[in-house]
Amino acid sequence: MDADSDVALDILITNVVCVFRTRCHLNLRKIALEGANVIYKRDVGKVLMKLRKPRITATIWSSGKIICTGATSEEEAKFGARRLARSLQKLGFQVIFTDFKVVNVLAVCNMPFEIRLPEFTKNNRPHASYEPELHPAVCYRIKSLRATLQIFSTGSITVTGPNVKAVAAAVEQIYPYVFESRKEIL
Amino acid sequence: MTGRVCRGCGGTDIELDAARGDAVCTGCGSVLEDNIIVSEVQFVENSGGGSSAVGQFVSLDGAGKTPTLGGGFHVNLGKESRAQTLQNGRRHIHHLGSQLQLNQHCLDTAFNFFKMAVSKHLTRGRKMAHVIAACLYLVCRTEGTPHMLLDLSDLLQVNVYVLGKTFLLLARELCINAPAIDPCLYIPRFAHLLEFGEKNHEVSMTALRLLQRMKRDWMHTGRRPSGLCGAALLVAARMHDFRRTVKEVISVVKVCESTLRKRLTEFEDTPTSQLTIDEFMKIDLEEECDPPSYTAGQRKLRMKQLEQVLSKKLEEVEGEISSYQDAIEIELENSRPKAKGALANLSKDGSVEDTASSLLGEEDVEDEELEAAASHMNQDFYRELLGSGSGSAEAAESPEGGSRALALESLLGPLPTAASLGISDSIRECISAPGRDPDTSGDGELDLSGIDDLEIDRYILNESEARVKAELWMRENAEYLQEQREKEARIAKEKELGIYKEHKPKKSCKRREPIQASTAGEAIEKMLEQKKISSKINYSVLRDLNSKGGGSPQREGTRPAERASSRRLSRRRTPASRNGADPGACVGKRLRPLVSTQTAKKAAMGEAVLPSPPALGAELVRPAAVLVESGPVSYHPEEDADEEEADEEDGEPCVSALQMLGGNDYGCDGDDDEGY
Repeated sequence: MDADSDVALDILITNVVCVFRTRCHLNLRKIALEGANVIYKRDVGKVLMKLRKPRITATIWSSGKIICTGATSEEEAKFGARRLARSLQKLGFQVIFTDFKVVNVLAVCNMPFEIRLPEFTKNNRPHASYEPELHPAVCYRIKSLRATLQIFSTGSITVTGPNVKAVAAAVEQIYPYVFESRKEIL
Repeated sequence: MTGRVCRGCGGTDIELDAARGDAVCTGCGSVLEDNIIVSEVQFVENSGGGSSAVGQFVSLDGAGKTPTLGGGFHVNLGKESRAQTLQNGRRHIHHLGSQLQLNQHCLDTAFNFFKMAVSKHLTRGRKMAHVIAACLYLVCRTEGTPHMLLDLSDLLQVNVYVLGKTFLLLARELCINAPAIDPCLYIPRFAHLLEFGEKNHEVSMTALRLLQRMKRDWMHTGRRPSGLCGAALLVAARMHDFRRTVKEVISVVKVCESTLRKRLTEFEDTPTSQLTIDEFMKIDLEEECDPPSYTAGQRKLRMKQLEQVLSKKLEEVEGEISSYQDAIEIELENSRPKAKGALANLSKDGSVEDTASSLLGEEDVEDEELEAAASHMNQDFYRELLGSGSGSAEAAESPEGGSRALALESLLGPLPTAASLGISDSIRECISAPGRDPDTSGDGELDLSGIDDLEIDRYILNESEARVKAELWMRENAEYLQEQREKEARIAKEKELGIYKEHKPKKSCKRREPIQASTAGEAIEKMLEQKKISSKINYSVLRDLNSKGGGSPQREGTRPAERASSRRLSRRRTPASRNGADPGACVGKRLRPLVSTQTAKKAAMGEAVLPSPPALGAELVRPAAVLVESGPVSYHPEEDADEEEADEEDGEPCVSALQMLGGNDYGCDGDDDEGY
């Protein structure tokens, strides 16, 4: 793990998905009519509301469950969720902000070297699966963290996990294996 | 044989005739087994004098049952479900495999995979065709045959990614590691399809060399092997003077034209492409190339760096230009009277005065005027961008804005909206009292700290806007609304006509609790309430059967119910109380044939003869005389009436009918016949 200490890898969080409940029935029609930034999908029964400041998109169901996507950090996700609840409050609903939970975090990380995918797959048999006919990346699943990593031959790695810590831990875990199968630049 | 007990008499003396393949009990003479597979060979003499071996052909996967003579078309009849599934699977595998020209060994291996999959319940919830295709492809991969997943999806007309998903799942569950695909495997196949005639082999070899070169040059990672093959074959063909167009190649290789072109250009970038044909055949360049995506990435990086350098230079130039501009303007204004006054007015605007002057104090005196003018320009700039809405925000942000005056000015491009608003919010946060804990999960109250109400107010439309929006939405979704209206109309019409059928989502059948009743009569009553009885049963007859002397019509009515549920109870307790009950012995024997006729649900009433099992539960059995009828039931009310009082459980004549009603635990079968 010498390489670990030399290089500081930048893990860029690109998407955080969270859910929360308002504990009250929401009249989608009213939201759709009075909101300036909403899309009403009547056939599915939901309203998409987009916020500019933390750039997030929220899916609002009439039961009061709301899914919030597009934030770039956990705090931002919470902030955006609160703003959303506030705007719903202003529209006149008795909103209570409960059960906030971050559900999914998507992050991207770049290795400073390329990776030999067939070799990597052979060394990490049960966890890694590589089908070049279907997808150009190796799909590596870590069961303990419930995280999935997609490893590309350019060295770029996409990680999805239940929270930011899991994502960071996953990258830490995979680094030695990926380092083994790297391509030496002559 | 040791340990074998005859089913009929319980004796252990069993004779095994190896030649005939029989196992016979010497006690009662019942045949326990026939068609035993033996290893002896016997011969019999034919009519013509020749001799033939004694034996039968037994199929590999059958149970060894003899096929019906002259029949054999109902092959799947009577076999258990698992055997049927396997047989079906085998048939499909052979059918599909023969289309792919797989040999018998591969098909057998595929069938083994299929058997494993079935035992792990992987076929549940998946189309059989998908699972079979996945098994076959797994075999192709392990054997190294040149079959692509695309071929299978072509044959089945299924999306290749769906097949891929099933295949990955299968490989994971069966813990089989499919070796990675080597594009070299596909070369002979594609070369054959491209019809190179005699030079087939040479072209193939050239293409192989090209492929290996490509591998060394890092072109093959993450790419579809078929695309690489296509490119290699195209170049090889051209090298040997075969004019194969791109279109021909892609029809064989099944990739897109643009993919092929891309591979070719990538190959062009490698130094190998510079060699002549002869050189290529002889020399192998030592150096390896970087993967094309890497070079593309490097190029992008370089472009970015260039852009940054350029933009910096641009900034400097612009800065110079603006400074010249300012200088010129100042000169112009200075030439006019009250120049300084104008500047003073400018600096008095808003609440910038203090901040501007403080800033100015720091800067050099020469730039003082410049700064004022610059800040004034900034003010205008901000005002334009932000509009009148966030007037208060402006004031807060301008201190920061002022310090970055020059830089922002020169950039001119990016909107400071987000930045400025962010700052204002953070300032507000600092100013306002430190709010409650953001951890309001238990509380449920909305934490308003840091939320800019003004901005949120902008999100809410006023009335006229709402109207416009409503109209727009209506226009957009006109079709959907139209559909909804038609549906409503249709439902209303159907309701009027009375044929409206509401499609409720299917509710799973709940397990009914066993009926708790103190008497058999009560139990039958409850059972009849719960269960909808079939209309094919003649209830009057049933009631007559049940009624035994002194019973009121109501009681008669309940009798069948009682009987039925008592029957049901009886069946449950049959094994237990078979031995225990009083009038056990004589009736015991008749119990068995009764139990075996359970399955004949709507059996004729003739069966309703046999005496009831005593096993109606010890508490129900009364030590009264048991009426045993041995002949067909004669439906004489008087006779039956006698029985009624005696014991409910002894509803002998109607036994099987009751068993039909209450004795079958086949679930909601009664529903099927209703309203047919």
